[in-house]
Amino acid sequence: MKHATLAGFSCWCPITIALILLSLPVSLKASLPFQSFTQHQITGTVTDGNGKPLGGVNIIISGKRQGTISDFDGTYTIMASPLDTLVYSFVGFKTLEERVGGRLTIDVVMEEDVTALGEVTVNAGYYTVKEKERTGNISRVTSEEIELQPVVSPIQALQGRMAGVEILPGGSQPGMASTIRIRGQNSLRAEGNFPLYIIDGVPLNSTPMESNSLLGSTGIDPLNNLNLSNIESIEVLKDADATAIYGSRGANGVILITTKRGQQQKTEIEARIYAGMATVPNRLDLLNTEQYLQIRKKAFENDGVVPDASNAYDLVLWDQNRYTDWQDFFFGGTSYITDVNLAASGGNETTSFRIGGSYHKQGTVYPGDYDYSKLTAGLHLNHTSESKKLGIDLSVNYGMDTNNLVGNVNVSSNVFMLPPNAPAVFNEDGSLHWVAWNEAGADNPLAGFYNTSKTQAGNLVSNLGISYQLLSGLSLKTNVGYSYFHSQELMKMPKRSYNPSNWGNIDHRSLHLQSDRKSWIIEPQLVYSTKIAEGKLDALLGGTFQKSKNSSLGVQGVGYVAESLIGNLDAAESMVNGTSQNTAYAYSALFARLGYNWKQKYFINLTGRRDGSSRFGPGKRFSNFGAVGGAWIFSEEPFIQNNIPFLSFGKLRGSYGTTGNDQIGDYGYLDAYEATPGPGGLYPTGLSNPDYSWEINKKLEAAIELGFLADRINLGLSWYRNRSSNQLVGYPLPGLTGFPTVQANLPATVENTGWEVEVSSLNIRSEDFRWQTFFNISFPENKLVSYPDIEQSSYANTYRVGHPLNISLLYRYEGVDPETGFYSIADINEDGRLDYEDRVVIWDRGRKFFGGISNNISYKNFSLQFLWEFVKQEGKISSLMEAGPYGNSRMEVMQALQEGSKFQRISQSSQATTAYSNVLNTVFLVEDASFLRLKTLSLGYSIPAEVLQTTGIKGCKLFLNGQNLITLTNYSGMDPERPGPGTSFAGLRTITCGVQLNF
Amino acid sequence: MKLSIYIKRFVIIMVCCCMVSCESFVEVDAPDHKIVSEAVFDDDAMAISVMTGIYNQLFRAFFSSGGSDSVTALAGLSADNLRCIRTTDPTRLEFEQNEILPNNPRNLNVWTSAYNIIYMTNSLLEGLTNSGKITEEIRNQLEGEAKFVRAFTYFYLVNLYGGVPLVLTTDYRVNALAVRDTEEEVYQQIIEDLEDAMDKLEENYINGERTQVNTFVVMALLARVNLYQQNWEEAERLSTQVISQAGTYEILEDPDQVFLANSHEAIWQLSPVGRGSASTNTNEGSIFIINPRITALSHLKLSDDIVGTFQSPDKRLSHWVGFHEGLAVHYAYKYKIRNSTADITEYSMVLRLAEQYLIRAEARAMQGKLKEAIADLDVIRNRANLDLISDINPGIDQEALLEKIMEERRKEFFTEWGHRWLDLKRTGTASEVLGTGHPLWQDTDIRYPIPEEERIKNPNLGQNNGY
Repeated sequence: MKHATLAGFSCWCPITIALILLSLPVSLKASLPFQSFTQHQITGTVTDGNGKPLGGVNIIISGKRQGTISDFDGTYTIMASPLDTLVYSFVGFKTLEERVGGRLTIDVVMEEDVTALGEVTVNAGYYTVKEKERTGNISRVTSEEIELQPVVSPIQALQGRMAGVEILPGGSQPGMASTIRIRGQNSLRAEGNFPLYIIDGVPLNSTPMESNSLLGSTGIDPLNNLNLSNIESIEVLKDADATAIYGSRGANGVILITTKRGQQQKTEIEARIYAGMATVPNRLDLLNTEQYLQIRKKAFENDGVVPDASNAYDLVLWDQNRYTDWQDFFFGGTSYITDVNLAASGGNETTSFRIGGSYHKQGTVYPGDYDYSKLTAGLHLNHTSESKKLGIDLSVNYGMDTNNLVGNVNVSSNVFMLPPNAPAVFNEDGSLHWVAWNEAGADNPLAGFYNTSKTQAGNLVSNLGISYQLLSGLSLKTNVGYSYFHSQELMKMPKRSYNPSNWGNIDHRSLHLQSDRKSWIIEPQLVYSTKIAEGKLDALLGGTFQKSKNSSLGVQGVGYVAESLIGNLDAAESMVNGTSQNTAYAYSALFARLGYNWKQKYFINLTGRRDGSSRFGPGKRFSNFGAVGGAWIFSEEPFIQNNIPFLSFGKLRGSYGTTGNDQIGDYGYLDAYEATPGPGGLYPTGLSNPDYSWEINKKLEAAIELGFLADRINLGLSWYRNRSSNQLVGYPLPGLTGFPTVQANLPATVENTGWEVEVSSLNIRSEDFRWQTFFNISFPENKLVSYPDIEQSSYANTYRVGHPLNISLLYRYEGVDPETGFYSIADINEDGRLDYEDRVVIWDRGRKFFGGISNNISYKNFSLQFLWEFVKQEGKISSLMEAGPYGNSRMEVMQALQEGSKFQRISQSSQATTAYSNVLNTVFLVEDASFLRLKTLSLGYSIPAEVLQTTGIKGCKLFLNGQNLITLTNYSGMDPERPGPGTSFAGLRTITCGVQLNF
Repeated sequence: MKLSIYIKRFVIIMVCCCMVSCESFVEVDAPDHKIVSEAVFDDDAMAISVMTGIYNQLFRAFFSSGGSDSVTALAGLSADNLRCIRTTDPTRLEFEQNEILPNNPRNLNVWTSAYNIIYMTNSLLEGLTNSGKITEEIRNQLEGEAKFVRAFTYFYLVNLYGGVPLVLTTDYRVNALAVRDTEEEVYQQIIEDLEDAMDKLEENYINGERTQVNTFVVMALLARVNLYQQNWEEAERLSTQVISQAGTYEILEDPDQVFLANSHEAIWQLSPVGRGSASTNTNEGSIFIINPRITALSHLKLSDDIVGTFQSPDKRLSHWVGFHEGLAVHYAYKYKIRNSTADITEYSMVLRLAEQYLIRAEARAMQGKLKEAIADLDVIRNRANLDLISDINPGIDQEALLEKIMEERRKEFFTEWGHRWLDLKRTGTASEVLGTGHPLWQDTDIRYPIPEEERIKNPNLGQNNGY
């Protein structure tokens, strides 16, 4: 298959060569002829309405290519003639024009643009659009909202901030991958629902990295290694208009992360440090020793069994007065957080740079010396030639992190079950205690505690963008990106983690796992814009060539002679269970965009992409995607302006188009053999279907955007309907064929519809006081519209046609049987047993609505920012509600001591435990898990410039940040953000404070 | 303007490039962990590893694993050798009570795992046919082995379910709607495959281990097939050929040596190496020997009935039957190792010499060669430390002798591959033996139901009577 690579090379090679040939001879040419007139040096200062100097203001001479930038202290110098007009522009301020006249000093005061809506440009991936003029649905979060948040992955910082973006934190260990859903679940396959991540133009595989450690349940978030402080903005592309240009990868939405770039001003250094602590904010109300023993004794009494040393060691052998609050013992700790960030940036009119580095460290709330640390470095260089024709943009970001965790004992889920009078789990010297547990014939519940895992990951994301203006209005751009993600994990499993009585059977062991993801991308593009009649045309034509290689290597070392040797494979007696995987992915595309706006009133935007992906079989690799979007700014129409004066802005927009989903794993179409688990063998692991293809997602959106009172109040309302069909599923086959399923596209359709509302308002604006409020809410609805023959598929017991994907199929609860005293469940088909045919109750686990409300308040030098996140949903408690058997329970089960309580008779008979395990699969323990949470709160104080004047420090800001400070909920589990069994939790209560200095 | 020509050219080049050669750009080489089928049959060594894969997977496939969903365990429950320790698991209990529901998941496991192995053999046979690059010698060897495994698998399918669909290709589009063939047709295919295999295989164990199929392995199974088909002469002839390999096979005096890896009594064994993990014990050892720490993890015991059939000097009682004090149950103790990560010492026995003696004894008795039959039977009784028939009852009549042979088969092969269940079925004595004192017994219980899930997915698949 060598020829394939060569052919691939020959494919992009001419383009690169063409690019180089085209750019070289012309880039050195001089710019337009210089206009001759008497030039004077003009100086001045730019300030804002409060008299503060404004740095970084763009000052150009109208109609000419000359310009400059104001320094940090607001001063500028420019050569201009008296006839010239200077144009001052700066994001967030109204553009100002000043005629030079005879003046040599021109000081200007720039007026703040109330909402800055008109000036904000939004990154749409391959192009940018003005916020005001966009035809698609793009949500945006900027650095101010995320840089201070003490979280590991930037995804966690987005919670509650964007309409239509649902984020479920992975868990309480630092670095776990969150689940992110943009406008719901589109694919029936859980692994087919990741959005596309693009960092500075470089796509990053969004599938979490595999791990053997405690992170393994969700995987490792591939964005962990980014420096939050280095992120300029995060844009989320949602509708067809915005995502169709990403073709086969846009179905689940696109997340664009842009890193910070240097400003064209004098060199400035920014240093920030914060530190703080995090704790688990909640505890479950569990039985104390007295209550626990009372319930246990009652169980023996009810069952007519006499407790003895073998069936009731908690009652007979263990201390009846001992009490340990196991929750406090295991996760009552405090995790300390330190974060240091240093950045330098500067530049002149042609070149600017930004370099930065950061260090972040946080502990865990669990016993033992475990922590997470991250080190990052970033560089961003910009250059524009004197002629303004050639532009070079280089960004390189590298981050590495180390995650030290307790090995595979999930401390948090076990501890709730420990009887309150259980003996100590640790000896005085810190080793695991076995004697009392062995006497009772039990294992220490923390067997495995000395297993440790160390996961180290590094992520390099680099991109070089070169653009050259060929003609007025036409430029050529090429992005070349490379990303390299690697992780290395070592899990040590020493014998002393386990019961000494087993030491004869087990060895010191180690688990090794190494993964790599390498990817390069080249995207040549032609950008053209011109005026046609009274409108402006923007055109873009580009191509993508991408190759990725993933590899992973795992092995287990066994039989180390000493604990200190664990992990040194040379010292292992043998290596077993080796796994090795290497996969390649190639992708190419041609994409185009045509945007036209007529009088800045009517907008139309056409985007399209032809995609080819190696994930599909020959003949099925290419497909076309496209979308059309349109907008009408009706507030520009005279009849609106005349009749509705309070309406300052009004826009209707809509879009329709198709995107695809190629997240199906590599090589699925291949008829191939794999190695058997046993040595030396090969075997076919599935039936191959060379004909399968993309999942298709058709997106429709309609929206209205309104601005009132000179844009002080802005309202956006959008409605969407996304339909995913051609679902790639395991098509059921009889076992006769050798395998139960074959991957095939089925005409099954999943529909996501919903409403999204975004409101922003500038409540108060005076010289000293400013108060802004942002509000977003989403009402998502998800439905499996059709699935032919679902009853025979492997999804028969997972999904139901006409219902959301996020459901549980439950038994019908019939109350406590008065005869037996146990929970009774309806045997719907009366066949004498309970199985999926009796699960007739469909319970929707999804969110009914969710959103956030944030406020930014500033008064003089003080600023306050806080965000409340809210979710309406139901949750199920499926643990710790059993009264009778060994193991602690929630306080509520004390009610079972009374006659006629909602709980069943206290018992540990097999009938009782069966009834309990069945009732967990009913709505009996379903409760409202809605919540309102004060997600973040930051308070800042900037030391006035006058105070600092003599110190040489340009700015100094003190700040305090809190996360998850308050949660209002009726949910009785640990954390309504994870309404699972009731014992899992994610959001730690974190308080940090720090200082930021600018030099 | 000159530049515009460049641009036009550039755009044209770019568009053409994307349209034409991107087709090959998005082709990728197969990953290291997957080998494209054609490549597998490009050379001898790779093709051999496909057969090794089949042997490995036989140890993991439910029906042949010797584990809790194997023929050994389930057919043992269906006959009168094994019983459940507890009544909590209905799916296991249904086998014991001969009331298997068509949706029983263990029954489905037997079916699907057998057809999965058949798929592998078909895939290997097709690969060999389509490839011209395998040397003659290896091709013959592999074809013989694959055909043997296919025949072996069909042998159990036809004995458990009656006529089953004969799937001889890998094309799922065709196989998904296959209809059931008759019992005769299945047996015909088994015999055809075995005879072909016998022609193609070598006489020795190529790798020195008794896990690889050779001529005598095929002969041993073919002797059994002929016995089941009541071709007495052929059964006698074939078993004689196996027994005559005295240098290779012998009846071991010490019963504890029989189930060891490559024991001289073994004709064909499956190695636990196929499991692919650090555990090196057999599955039989792990399901039959009572777990010393957590007895709740053990589910199977020997029935009182079979334990009662042994008489005191019988070495099989003292060596192959264990007793657990705590649970007060007897368990099969042919395999001595329940759980281990040390070097492998026991293999899972599939075919062994003792069966060939009893096949010949029966075939001879059926032909009226009673004296020779008694001699064969006595080989087994002798090892068991029982009185020899030739000493205590040399004048035994044919019917009584056959009864003795059946009794000896039960005691010799308990918890091995469902011998008892298959014997009761082929001799037509199941209803008489199992139906007595069994109010739910029906004559149709001798066949397992075709799994319901299979019938939903393949409407052409008919159900057995009685379900």
